[in-house]
Amino acid sequence: MLTLQSYLTLGAIIFSIGVIGIVINRKNIIIIMMCTELLLIAVNFNFIAFSYFNQDLAGQIFVFFILTVAAAEVAIGLAILVALYRNKKTIDVQELKSLRN
Amino acid sequence: MIKELIFYSFSSVLICSSLAVVLFRNPVYSAVSLILSFITSGFLWLLLEAEFLAIVLILVYVGAVMVLFLFVIMMLNINKETEKSSFNSVAPFAVFIGLIIVAELITIIWINSSQFSTSSTVIQQSSQMGNTLLLGTELFTNYILDFEIAGFILLLAIIVAISLTLRPRKNLKTQVASEQINVDPKKRMKLVDLKETK
Repeated sequence: MLTLQSYLTLGAIIFSIGVIGIVINRKNIIIIMMCTELLLIAVNFNFIAFSYFNQDLAGQIFVFFILTVAAAEVAIGLAILVALYRNKKTIDVQELKSLRN
Repeated sequence: MIKELIFYSFSSVLICSSLAVVLFRNPVYSAVSLILSFITSGFLWLLLEAEFLAIVLILVYVGAVMVLFLFVIMMLNINKETEKSSFNSVAPFAVFIGLIIVAELITIIWINSSQFSTSSTVIQQSSQMGNTLLLGTELFTNYILDFEIAGFILLLAIIVAISLTLRPRKNLKTQVASEQINVDPKKRMKLVDLKETK
């Protein structure tokens, strides 16, 4: 029997995988942005599961807007990344310490 | 029974591909694993009768966002950075914290299960009204302002992405509109009175 708890548990597992991925990655901002996408997918899972089990369409509307904002965020983030690589010649998280001190 | 089988097999694929996104050192492998996890979540959303959003997820994310990721990976040429270890010293602690997070979330979800409605109360949507029609009707009536704000956010993203990455070329001959507007005609032409000569 598939209940709401199954979907919420799946969302929780995906969310914590995303959190771990953001923290443990030290090369590559690109992988950190991919982990952000994983977090958004986990949250969208919760919205769609609640929308299905409560028969309320507002959850799906909200997921639609989350997808919009996530697409905008990815576009701007990758543009920042390209500009950063053009100026610094690296996207290593450890090398980007020009704001320190 | 078949739905449970599909749910458990697809969610294990989803969890494995998400772990692969995190654990691969080569960003191209991570991007391809992320494509797999997007497609699997789209199928799981189909199971929840969110057909329109599943199609949008696959079209927008796999078709546009991941292609953008792969293009950026290709242009930045960072594959040579994989020789060093890509995990830092806080990795065991971070995994520990992540396990605590998932344990807490699952505990709360299953302890409070009496507050959630169970699947026995689910009423099936009327079959002649598809999910896309319902979603579109709702989106263009009750949420029209939010819809236009979302469109404005996308416009803003276009402008920001172009202005961040556009590099003006040197020695390019262009018009400078402000200088053109501020031209004083008296400085441009000097009228000289000439005596009429006979």
